[in-house]
Amino acid sequence: MASTPHVLVIGGGSTGIGIARDLAMRDLDVTLVEQGNLTHGTTGRMHGLLHSGGRYAVSDQASAKECIQENRVLRDIASHCVEMTGGMFVKRPEDTEEYFEKKLEGCRECGIPAEVISGEEARKREPHLAKDIDKAIAVPDGAIDPFRLVVANAASAEQHGARIETHSPVTDLLIEDGEVVGVEVKHKSGPGIRVHGTEGGTEEIRADYVVNASGAWAGQIGEMADVDIEVRPSKGVMTIMNIRQVDTVINRCRPKGDADIVVPHETTAILGTTDEEVEDPEDYPEEQWEVDLMIDTLKELVPMLEEARTIRSFWGVRPLYEPPDVGSEDPTDITRDFFLLDHEERDDLPGMTSIVGGKFTTYRLMAEKISDHVCEQFDIERECRTADEPLPGSEDFSVLRDYMEEFGLRSPIGRRSVERLGSRADEVLKTNEPNPVICECEGVTRAEVQDAIKQSGSDLNAVRIRTRASMGNCQGGMCVHRLASELHDTSVDGDTFDEAIAREAWDELLQERWKGQRHALWGEQLSQAMLNYALHATTQNRDNDPADGEPVDFAAFDAGGDHVGDASGTDVAADGGETDGY
Amino acid sequence: MSDARDPTEFDPIVPNTGEEYEPLEVFPESGSFDLRPGADSCYKCSTCDTNCPVAEVDDDFPGPKFQGPEQWRLKQTDDDYVIDSSISECSNCLRCDTSCPSGVNLAQMHNTARGEYVENQVPKFSVKYIRNRILANYRTSAYFASMLPRTANFFMNFGPVRWAMEKVLHVPSEREFPEFATQTFRQWWAERGGAKVHSDEKRIAYFHGCYSNYNTPQVAKALVRIYEYFGYEVMVPEQKCSGTPMFANGMLDDARRHAETNVESLTAAIEDGADIVASCTSCSMALRNEYPELFDIDGIDDLAAHTYDAVEYLRIHTDVRQELEQAEVSGELAEEFAYHAPCHARSQGLERQAIELFRNLDGVEIEDVGDSCSGISGTYGWKSEKYEKSMEIGSEMFEHMEDSGGTTGMTECPTCASQMEHGTGYDIRHPLELIEAALID
Repeated sequence: MASTPHVLVIGGGSTGIGIARDLAMRDLDVTLVEQGNLTHGTTGRMHGLLHSGGRYAVSDQASAKECIQENRVLRDIASHCVEMTGGMFVKRPEDTEEYFEKKLEGCRECGIPAEVISGEEARKREPHLAKDIDKAIAVPDGAIDPFRLVVANAASAEQHGARIETHSPVTDLLIEDGEVVGVEVKHKSGPGIRVHGTEGGTEEIRADYVVNASGAWAGQIGEMADVDIEVRPSKGVMTIMNIRQVDTVINRCRPKGDADIVVPHETTAILGTTDEEVEDPEDYPEEQWEVDLMIDTLKELVPMLEEARTIRSFWGVRPLYEPPDVGSEDPTDITRDFFLLDHEERDDLPGMTSIVGGKFTTYRLMAEKISDHVCEQFDIERECRTADEPLPGSEDFSVLRDYMEEFGLRSPIGRRSVERLGSRADEVLKTNEPNPVICECEGVTRAEVQDAIKQSGSDLNAVRIRTRASMGNCQGGMCVHRLASELHDTSVDGDTFDEAIAREAWDELLQERWKGQRHALWGEQLSQAMLNYALHATTQNRDNDPADGEPVDFAAFDAGGDHVGDASGTDVAADGGETDGY
Repeated sequence: MSDARDPTEFDPIVPNTGEEYEPLEVFPESGSFDLRPGADSCYKCSTCDTNCPVAEVDDDFPGPKFQGPEQWRLKQTDDDYVIDSSISECSNCLRCDTSCPSGVNLAQMHNTARGEYVENQVPKFSVKYIRNRILANYRTSAYFASMLPRTANFFMNFGPVRWAMEKVLHVPSEREFPEFATQTFRQWWAERGGAKVHSDEKRIAYFHGCYSNYNTPQVAKALVRIYEYFGYEVMVPEQKCSGTPMFANGMLDDARRHAETNVESLTAAIEDGADIVASCTSCSMALRNEYPELFDIDGIDDLAAHTYDAVEYLRIHTDVRQELEQAEVSGELAEEFAYHAPCHARSQGLERQAIELFRNLDGVEIEDVGDSCSGISGTYGWKSEKYEKSMEIGSEMFEHMEDSGGTTGMTECPTCASQMEHGTGYDIRHPLELIEAALID
C-alpha cells in the first residue's frame, strides 16, 4: 500500500463531491469520476430546498434532526449558495388540525425553531397565498443552489489536490484477487478540463479504495462486480415558474402527498413533486399529467400559479434504498436515510463501499461518515474539517456593494452577480475588458461567463450551471449563441476552442434547454419557443444546419460591394433602398 | 356618423398577472409593489428597445426591456434590492408600452420603479430633487405666475434670472418659458357665466389641465365653442394636475393627492351624465391608463372608461369630419401645417386623427412629420443634464418640419408644441383651434 492512500470516488453529485472534498482535506489522494457534468444525476434535478427538517418532523425524526443541524452548517460554510428564505407549513381548512399539532410537536421535539402564525400573518408575509389558509407553522427552511454548491465543493477538493474527471463514465471495475483495485473509465473527450471532439479513449485508474457514490446508478456499478445493490429509483417531477410567486418556501401541512411544496429559487419558483418508482434511472416516461398535477394541486396554496408562466419541467430520480427485508410497497414509505454498504462485510468483496439513499441537505454529514469509514480502512485518524471551513466563494463577503462604482454594473445585475460569486466577486468582476451582459434574463455578464469557461472548458452546460446563463424566461433563446461566441477562440490550459468545438457546445446547450421546455409548451412559453425557433431559424439557419459538423468556409463569402451609402443621403431613397438613378 | 372605431371595443392583450393579482394590494402596509408577475409576458423580443427614443441617442441607457420586465424579474421584494438609477434617464414617452407585442405593462413598471427610486434612493434635499419637484408641480408655479402674468412673463425669460436658474436649479437657459395668459381659462369661463348650451342628453366635462388654463386659454375656449356648436353642454369641474409630470418625476405621492381631487370631481360629473374630454393627450392618457394602474381610488376605473381626447370624442359622436369636408378656412389659419403626433396620443391610438380630419379641409394643407418623438417629454427637456439628449431626440422631427411646406406646426401636446417651437421657430397650433376656425369663425 502506498504511503498516502489513493481513493477513487464514483459520482459527481453532492454526495461524491462532498466525499472527495472531505478526503482531500484529510490529505488523502482523491480522484473523482463522473459520467456527465457535475450534478448530472439527481443533484442537478432537485427543487433546491435547504430542509429545516420540518418535512420529516413527524415521519422520520432522525432525519429531521440531521437536517436542522446541517441546515445551520450550510448557512455558514456555503453562504453564497444559500438564501435563507424561511419556510411555512400552511394548513388549508380541509387539512386536519391533528396533523398540524403533530407537525408542531415534531418540530419542537427535533429542535427545529417553529412558530405558529395566523392565516392573516401568513398572507402578510406571502401576499399571494390563498385567502382561505387557516394558519401556518414558520420554520427555517431555505433555498440552496445545488450547482453552485457542488462546483464550490469541487473547487475546494481540487485546491486540496484532488483530481476531478467529468464526462468519464466508469466502464468496468478492476478486480484482482477478489478485491476491487480501481476502475476503467472512458473519457468522452480527453483528460483534464473537458474539450469537445477529442476522443480521450479509456483509462485504467488504480486506487487503494473505491467509493461508489453514484446514487441511482449504484446498482449498475454493483453489477460490474456481481454485487446486488437494490436501489429503488423513484422519479419526481419539478416545474419551474418564470418568476417567484412566493419568497418563502411554502409546504402543505398534511401527511405525505404529491405536489405539496413551492420553493423560491433564484429568479424562479420550483413546484414539487411526485414520487413514483421507475425501473431505469435514465429511461422513464415524463408525462404531462405529472406537470398538470403540480399546478392543479399547488394552486390551492397559491392561486395565481394557475395563470402564471411555467418555463420548463424536469424529473429527478431519487436513489432510494431500503434493506431487502423491509419491502415497502409505496416508494413514499421508503426511508430517506442513507446506507453505507461495505462490500467487504456484505459481499465479501474488499476494496469498495457503496453509499445509497440519503438527501441533499445532509450531503456533508453523509460525506463525513463515509470519509470516516474510508479512513478507518487505512487506520488513519484525521479530523473532519468540512463543517468549519467555508467553501470557496463563501468566505466573508457582503452583497451590498456599489455595483456601478465597483464593477460598472446596473444594480440588479451587479446584485445577482455578487450573490452568485460570493467572495469571488472582486476577482471575477473587476475586469478591464468590456463586460456586457450576455444572459439578460439572469443578469450574467461576460466576465462571469469567461470565469466559468476557465473552470470547465468547452462545455456550455457546465458554464450554465456555474452562472445560470440560459436559465431564465427565454431559456437560452437570446444568449446561447453569445455563449458559443465567448467560447470560440478562448484558450484554457493550452487548448483553444475552434469553431467546431464552439458549435458542438452550442448545439448541446440548445438541446438541453429544449428538453425541459417541451413540458411547458402552452401560453407564454409556447410563444417564447416559437420566437426562439423563428429567430434561430432565420438568423442562425438552425432549421437546416449547413455546417453539419464541418467548419464553415467563411472565406468563401464575399466582402460585399464596394459601395456604401453616402452620408449626405443623396443616393439613398428615404425608405432605405437605393434611388432609381443609382 | 363617426369614422373612428369605437375605442371602447379596443381590447388590448391583458398581461398575464394571474387572477388574484392585484399589484396595489400586495403589500398595503409597506407601500411597496411587486410587479414581478408582469415579467411573465415578456419574450425578450426587444421591440420595446428598438422603439425607445432615449436608447437611440444614449448608449449608456440600458433601455426599456431592462428597465421593465428584466429589472422587475431580477429584483426581489426585500429592501436590499434597489432600483437602478438609470430609470431617471427614461423620458416617460411610453413608446415601449405602446409597441410591446405581448402586453407587458411597461408604463406601470417604469412609473412604479421611478416612484420607488425617488422615494427610497434620491436625497430629499438634493438640488435635482427640489428642481424635479418644482417642475412636476407646474400647476403650483403656474398658479402663482398667473396672478401677475405680465411680471411673470418678463422675469421668467429675463436673462439674469435664467442664468441664476441654470446655475442653481439646472434648468437650461436655452429654453423659453411659456407665456402666461393675462386671463386664465377659468377666469374667462366665470366671466362668461359658464355654459351657453344646456342639454340633458349631450354633456361633457372638460378636463382642461394646467396648460390650457394658464398658458393657452385660446385652445380651451375653442373647445367650449366647438362642443357648444355641436349641441353639447360643457361642464368645467374642479380639477388639479392630471399627474403626468409627477409620474415622470417619480412623485407618486403628489400625483395621488391631485388624483384624489380629480377622481372625486370628475366621477361626480359622470354621475351627472357627462363624459370627460381633455385637450391635452398626456392628461387624457393619465386619466385613462396611469390612474387605474397606479392608484386604487373609488371610481377610478369608471373615470378611465369615460375619458376621451377632445378630438377623438368629436370623431366618435359628431359629424365633425363631414362638416370639415364642406368647410373652408381663410385668414390667419389658412396655412400648411407640419403635424407631429405626441407619443401619448400614439399610445391612445390617436396618431392619425388630425391628418384624417384635415387632409380634405379646403384652405389648409397638413403633413405628418413622421413618427419620431419630439424629445421634450414634458419636464424631461427642462433639465440641464437632459437638454442635449432632448434636442438630439427631437432633431429628426425638426428636420422634417423644416422640410414641410409652411412655417406653422400642429400638435395636441403643449410640451411637444414648445419643443417644436424651440427647434424651428414655428408658430404651433392645436387641432381644436383649426376646427374652430373652420366651423365657427
